[in-house]
Formats: sequence, C-alpha cells, structure tokens
Amino acid sequence: MTLLRYTIRRILQAIPVLIGISFITFVLVNALPGDPVAIMLEGQEVDQETIEAVERRYGLDRPFHERFVTYMLGLIQGDLGYSFHRDMPVSTLMWIRLGPTLLLVISAFVFALVTAVPLGVLAAKRRNEPTDHVSRIIALIGVSTPSFWIGIMLILIFAVWLGWLPSGRLVYPWRDPAHYGFDGRLELYYQTIRHLLLPMVALGTLQMATIMRIERSSMVESLQEEYVQLARAYGVPERTILRKHAFRSAQLPIITIVGLNLSTALGGAVLIETVFEINGMGRLLIQSIQQLDYQVVMGVTIVLATIFVIGVIITDISYAYVDPRVSYGDRD
Amino acid sequence: MATTEGQLGDGEEPQVGWRHTLAQVRNDPTARFGLYIIAIATSVAIFSAVDANLSRLTLGAYHDYTIGEWLPVLENPETLPPPGEMQTYQPPVFAEGGSWDNPLGTDQSGRDYLSRIIYGARISMAVGFFATFLGLTGGVAIGAVAGYYGGWIDDVLMRFVEIIYSIPALVLVIVFTVFVSGGNPDVIYAILGVGIATVPVFSRIIRSRVLSVREMDYVEAARAAGVTDRNIIRRHIIPNSFAPVLVYATLQIGFAILIVAGLSFLGYGAQPPTPDWGQMLNHAHGQMHVNPWMSIWPGVAILLTIMGFNLFGDGLQDALDPRIDN
Amino acid sequence: MSNETILEVDGLKTHFYTEQGVVRAVDGVSFDVREREIVGIVGESGAGKSVATTSILRLIEEPGQIVDGEITYRDLTIVGFEEQDDGTLTPREAMLSNREMRDQVRGNEIAIIFQDPMESLNPVYSVGHQVTEFIELNRELSGGDARQEAIDMLREVGIPEPENRFDDYPHEFSGGMRQRVLIAMALGCRPTLIIADEPTTALDVTVEGQILDLVKDLQTKYGTSFIWVTHDMGIVAEICDRVNVMYLGEIVEQGPVDDIFHDTKHPYTQKLLESIPRPDRTVTELDPIAGTMPSAINPPRACRFHTRCPDARVACTEVEPRFVAVGNDADGDGDEHEGEHNDHRTACIKYDDVGYWDSVPLEKVGDRDIQYVGDRS
Repeated sequence: MTLLRYTIRRILQAIPVLIGISFITFVLVNALPGDPVAIMLEGQEVDQETIEAVERRYGLDRPFHERFVTYMLGLIQGDLGYSFHRDMPVSTLMWIRLGPTLLLVISAFVFALVTAVPLGVLAAKRRNEPTDHVSRIIALIGVSTPSFWIGIMLILIFAVWLGWLPSGRLVYPWRDPAHYGFDGRLELYYQTIRHLLLPMVALGTLQMATIMRIERSSMVESLQEEYVQLARAYGVPERTILRKHAFRSAQLPIITIVGLNLSTALGGAVLIETVFEINGMGRLLIQSIQQLDYQVVMGVTIVLATIFVIGVIITDISYAYVDPRVSYGDRD
Repeated sequence: MATTEGQLGDGEEPQVGWRHTLAQVRNDPTARFGLYIIAIATSVAIFSAVDANLSRLTLGAYHDYTIGEWLPVLENPETLPPPGEMQTYQPPVFAEGGSWDNPLGTDQSGRDYLSRIIYGARISMAVGFFATFLGLTGGVAIGAVAGYYGGWIDDVLMRFVEIIYSIPALVLVIVFTVFVSGGNPDVIYAILGVGIATVPVFSRIIRSRVLSVREMDYVEAARAAGVTDRNIIRRHIIPNSFAPVLVYATLQIGFAILIVAGLSFLGYGAQPPTPDWGQMLNHAHGQMHVNPWMSIWPGVAILLTIMGFNLFGDGLQDALDPRIDN
Repeated sequence: MSNETILEVDGLKTHFYTEQGVVRAVDGVSFDVREREIVGIVGESGAGKSVATTSILRLIEEPGQIVDGEITYRDLTIVGFEEQDDGTLTPREAMLSNREMRDQVRGNEIAIIFQDPMESLNPVYSVGHQVTEFIELNRELSGGDARQEAIDMLREVGIPEPENRFDDYPHEFSGGMRQRVLIAMALGCRPTLIIADEPTTALDVTVEGQILDLVKDLQTKYGTSFIWVTHDMGIVAEICDRVNVMYLGEIVEQGPVDDIFHDTKHPYTQKLLESIPRPDRTVTELDPIAGTMPSAINPPRACRFHTRCPDARVACTEVEPRFVAVGNDADGDGDEHEGEHNDHRTACIKYDDVGYWDSVPLEKVGDRDIQYVGDRS
C-alpha cells in the first residue's frame, strides 16, 4: 500500500516539472525570430489574406500568453498541436514514431546491463588483475567515444566491409510479417534482431561503460562490507557471496544510474536514428527542424522529456522496491 | 588493524590541500597520461596554424605569429598549388594512391585532412572549456544561493534545474541552437546551449556541498559576526565546495565535447568552412562507401581528447576522495 | 575446570605486508580455549585482538598473512607449518583446505559475532531470511525446519513475537535487537565455539548489560565456549573464566580471571584495571594509560610496553621478556610458588631472573636528561 502511495506521490510531484518542461520548450521554440507562417509558406505565392487566414487557423495572431494557455489546455487533453508539414495531428505522429525509439533505447539498455553487470562483478572480484584492467580500459573507451561514430564504424565494418548485417532501418516486431514479405513471426523476430544489433550496440556502449564502472566500484565496496565478511565466516561459498550477499545491495546505484542515463540515451537516440535512418522520435526532431515544423519540434521535445521523467519515476519505485530502507515518507 | 589511539577521530576529515592533490595526481600514471593528452590538445588548439586554403599543414612554431594572428595565417602563399590543382578525396598515405604530402588524405575540396583534424581541436576545446565554464558559473551561482537560503528560493531554483535536466541534453542544445539563433546555428549558440545544459549538474553538487558546509562552525561564526550573506557565500561556502566541482568540471569538458560533436554531426554546430570534427564526420558519413577512411580520423580525435579529460578527471577524483583506493 | 581443550593457538604470527612496512599485528600469540568456558582477549584497540581471532577462522585478507604458528581445533589443523630444508615454512599436509574450512569449521564448529550490529546484517534481506540461511547452511535441516529453528532461536535471544518480526528488515531493529539477532544466528548453527569480537562496544551500557546477561544464560544452556574480545576489563570481570591480556601483537599476561584481578602481575594489566571506572573511586583517580601505542611496524625493542610502562627500567629495553608462570598469591602470604601448576603467566622481566631490580629505572634516565638541559641554561 505504501508503495502505491509513494508511486502516486511521485507522479503528482512530476506534474509541475512537466508543466515547466512544456513552458520552456514553448518559449524556446517561439523565440524563433520571423514569422513562422511566412517561413512555412515560403516560395509560395500567397497574399496577406491567406497568411492571416493561416495565422487565425493556428491561433498565431493572438498574444504569446494566450497561445501558451491554449497550447497547455490542448496538452492536457492529449492534443500536441498540428503538423503543418505532414498535415496530421502531432499526437498521431508521436504514436507512430514512439515505438522505434523505445525499441532502440530499451534494447540498448538491455545490451548495456547484460554485458556491464557481469563484467563489472568480474572486475570487482579480480580487482587489480588483468581482467580488471581490461574491463577498465573498455569502460574508459566506452565513455569517451561518441555513439554516432561507433555507429558509423559498426556500419563500416559489419555492413560495408563484411556485409554481415544491414546498415540501417529497423524491422518492427509488432508489424505484420507480410508487410516485409517475411514467412512468419519467427523470421520477423530474427530480422528484427539482425537490424537492431548495430544501432543497439552503438547506443548502448556509453551506457555499458557507465554501468560497468559503477558496478565495479559498487561491488568492490559491497565485498568489503561487514555482512559479507560475516557470510564468509559462516562458511558461505565465495560464489554465493558474489551472486547473492554482495550482489543485491550493490545493484542499488545501478538502478539510479539507469534512470538518470535515460537522458543521455534519449539524446543519443537522435544521433543513432540519424546514422541508421530509423524513423523514430529523434529523426523526426531533426526532420521537423529542417522543415521548421515547430509544433512537431515542441511535441518531440516534450514527449522525450516526459519519457525521461517517467523513466526516473519507474527507477525510483524499483529502488524503493529493492531497498527496504527507503522510507516512502520524506524523500524523493 | 594497526590503528592506534589518538589518531584522527571519525568525524574529522583529513586535510587535503591542493599541493597534496597535485602530488597525488602526478603519481598516478593514468591521470598523468590524461593530462598529457589535454596538454597536447590544448596547445594544438592554440598554436596550430593552417594556411588559408587549408591545403597543407603548417604547424609552425608559435613565435611566427603574434597573439593577434592566432587565427590561420598565410604562410608561404607562393608555394601553394593554385586552387583546382588540389586533388579531392585523396586516400591516406598507407592506402593505395596516398602520399606523405597529405598523410591522412584530403577532403571533398582537396584540403589536407590532417590539418583539418588538428585545426578541429580548436573548436572542440573552445566549446569544451567555455561551455563548461558557463555551466559552472551558472550552476555555482544557482546552487550556492539555493543551498544557502533554502526555503522557497531553494524550491523554485531546484525545480527549475530539474526541468532543465529533464530535457535530454542533446535535444535541449539542438532546439536552443536552432531556434534561439533564428535558424542560423553557430558555435556561439552551441557554447551557450551546452552551458545551459550543464548548469543542473553543477548546481546540484554545489547545493549539496553548501547544505553541509552551511552548518559548520566557522560559517555560523561568520554569520554571528555580521558578515553579509553574499560574502559568506563568496568567501566561505564556494571555496569549500570546490573540490568536487573541479572533478566534475574536468569530466564535464569531455561531455561538452561529446555533445558538440553530436550537434555538429547533425549540422547545427560549427558551420563550414570552419573545420570541426563532428561536421567532418557528417560529410564522411555520406562518403562511407566510397571513402571509408574519412570516417575514422575525426572520431579518433574526439575519442582521444575526451579520454584525456576522463583520465585526468578520474585521477583528480581519486586524489580528492581518500575513500576510494584502487 | 578440567574440561577438554578444544582450541589451541600456539605461536601464531599474522603479519600485514603494507607499503609502509610489515605490520606485525599478531606476533607470536599462544592461548587455548576449553569446553564450556569463556576466554577473554583484552587490550586496547590496535593490540591485534581481532586479527588473532580472525586468524582462527582463517579469514585474514590481503595484504595480511598468517606466517607462523599452529592453530588446532580438536583434531583439525586450522593452521600448521613445517620447516623445509632451506629453512622456509610451508603449510603442513594436514592443514585444512579452504573448502574444508568452509564446510567443516566456519559456522558449524566456530561461529563469530562482529562488533557492529548495524553493519553485520545485510540491509536488503529480511532478518529471518539471514538467520535461516546460515542455520540451513551449517546444520542438516530442511528449509522448513531451519525456518522454525530460526524462529525458535530468535525467541530464545529475546526478540518479542519472532514470527511477526521474521520478515522485517535489519533497519527496523534497534542496535541491541540486531545484536540479539546475530547471537541467534551464531547459536542457531550450534557451534562449539563462538568468537565474539567486541559485540557490545557499539551498544549503550544498559543494553550491554542485558546482552551480557543473555550470553551468560545461553552459554550455560547450550554449553558453548566463547572467545570474548574486548577492551573493557569490566566486561572481562563479568563474564570471562580466563583472560589473555594483549599488547601490540603479544600476550603479556594470561590466567584465570580471579588471579588476573587480584594478583595482577604485568604493569600493563595493572593500567588496564585502573582504567575501569568504578563507583568506589572518584573520577580524578581514573588513570588512562599514558601515551599512545607504538606502531606495530617497528615495535619497541625487548619489552614492547617499556615506552609506556611506569615501572620500566633500562633492562626492559634490552632483555626480551619470557613468558613465565607466576604463582597464585591470592592469599597474599608472599609465597609465589604455591600455585605454579595453574596457568597464570606473564611476560615481564620483573618476575624473571634477569637482574631487573639492579637496573636503573627508565624514568630516572629521562629525569636526569631533563635536569642536565635545565642546568645548562
């Protein structure tokens, strides 16, 4: 029950943040000098009357604060505005583009966790031995390399030179296999993984490196805890100590970092989607900026920030679930 | 186990001075390596000069120019091949068709690739340093004020910081650069944008430090002695919170370079013809099938530079935090 | 006290190889533990008490190493060396492997209770789970039986409503309650010997008293032997049968508690006793031991206590004190040989035949020096 109340409280706390995000995004995007309608209709022969008609239609003839209130009222009802360029509601566009981005980001985190956690534990166990040094070098390179360059290199090696994997686009597991001309679900999933592999690694490397560093230091600390010494003194085998006694409490910082790193992963997705030509939120952002489709730009920014806020709430709740010491009362 | 009575009490923090920290960093081979990378990248950024056509590397000694001439100087223009004779997309020296004249080959306009990469250090380092400095100044101010005054000021400032932090940094920087510049993005806007995006990290660190420093005796004493709030923050609180900030600043420079590389890759950072690593990768991306070599070098340059800051930052952190021993 | 000896430590040396030098944390320590008795190891922090007891379970970690000595538990060789032809020491064949230590000794024969109950329990597992886990591991009990046993043990150590508290987490218990949980954990494994490493130091005095009473009751009931590590002579008086006084890696005096208290031989023991606050003495008489303990890297020559000893003479800096039997002079008739058969022994040259009494007191030497400087000025 307390966990439920904690969840509700965290969601309520997020509301002012979400309003603030919308406000800042609105201010930023509307800071665009010049008349958006004029830019939008650039190159077309239009008279003043048409411009005014378009402005009225989109409410651009009204003052800033009125437009903001209208926009916010729309947001509450799930109306993110209208895409001039694509001629459809922004919210519809978001639904189409959300899937690929989430698929990419979640798989990147899965990749990062599956590789980083065991490597970090191993490095902590073999502290200052060759395994540890190698893993630290991998982590160092991982945190220092731009994800989009890793993407380019992976394409160069695995698609251009070796020809093993496709160089871009994704196959979506939720689509009908017939859409791609595949035989059945199995081939669809197989192709999904084949297409996802390179962008996933490119986006996940930074996360892997960050998580690996924290896993290592967290495990090193945890292995020196007195309760681990106690387990040893009671004859618990070293393997059980590593997998159970030292492991669980050492994962708490990992939960936090996954939530916080969602921010860099979502930012990275913009680049990776560009490199791999994935039609997700990030690519949509770049395309809309080029098209000056400013309502879509606002929509993407707000949705990405909202995903981050939700992600942090989820990790906070997981943390509270794993760590019995968290009191639901007074802390964020 | 060989602790003796009369050693430092639990509550006392061992006095760690700057000299001690620097000595420790000097003794740490990886941190030293990082420092060398930073030193090389910085001096390359400051002292490198490339001829105006960017066709050939002219890494002259710096006494060749006055301070006002740090920008590209024209050296021996008469020896330059006339425009049009420069070969475009020449491969690097070890590939077939390469030559020592252009060790890493040439780009789409026949400009020396190595020169452009070396010159690109200037943009990256400048953005890294200035953006971090901006974020640090803003963050320190916000964090110090929020932590010191508490109450509603703290609430408002920290909520603001949380909002900024919630928008993924790269997205924020892109939107900022494009829209605030009115559709004409440039390095200045990139620096501003990255600076704003780094404010949250610094303000949070400073705030938490301030909260602990605020309660210390000497701050209480200063307050009792009638020292103004402004001076307490400036003279006591900020200097005492600086160690962790320095570590983060070092790591943050690397992060800023990373963000700007991404920004330039998307075309919203430095604009041609200014050479910039991200922007070079942008072009190279399109050339991947024809001229794969071009994609490699700018990435290596970014990797090495950021690695330098990470190594040095880690070394600094180890030196400042006696708890961690490796 | 004619009980069988269960643990014998002989000439144990545990050293730590640090960058600053070799820390001789335990440097030739011998003592034994018999069935059903509580043996105290007392000394200031840094004396090497914990290292000595950790060595018994062979839980010394890098850079520490047991370099010499014998530890025998019943017929098991926990530590044992043999000398090779070239003079180096290598572990004897009979010495238990790490696996055997784990399966045969740790937990099921010798259990341990650490000093800080706050840190000794894993914060992310329930208390009941942790007690059950160790009981299941060290006794032939099925999961359900182990759980029942854990509940019974928790009740035994005075946790109210153990069934309801079973699934609570450590942070929901007070310090005293957590220490009770750790005692339940230790006793639940039915060991023959429990090492209690300053288990009450972190607790306040009232709780400490309750825990000591509890341990005395349970010790009688289960017949478990204890090694009780402490720096507090008051606790020694309350619960120990025999005691070993440790100073800087060595035992300086050992014997039955009555003899140690009423016929104190070693000046260090004397100092420790004087540092107990007692109602019949005013605070001004409280005499903490002067000076700090020297480093165990370069311990003082000969008698290690001479730098702080009020009775030190020049001979103390030159002659290595032997461990000699000192008689039981409890009746105060001056006959020091009446009880030579018992095990009250000390390492102080006062009681050995080395001309201590002819030697100049160190204090005097020091005084004269000061005098000289004073005269000159």
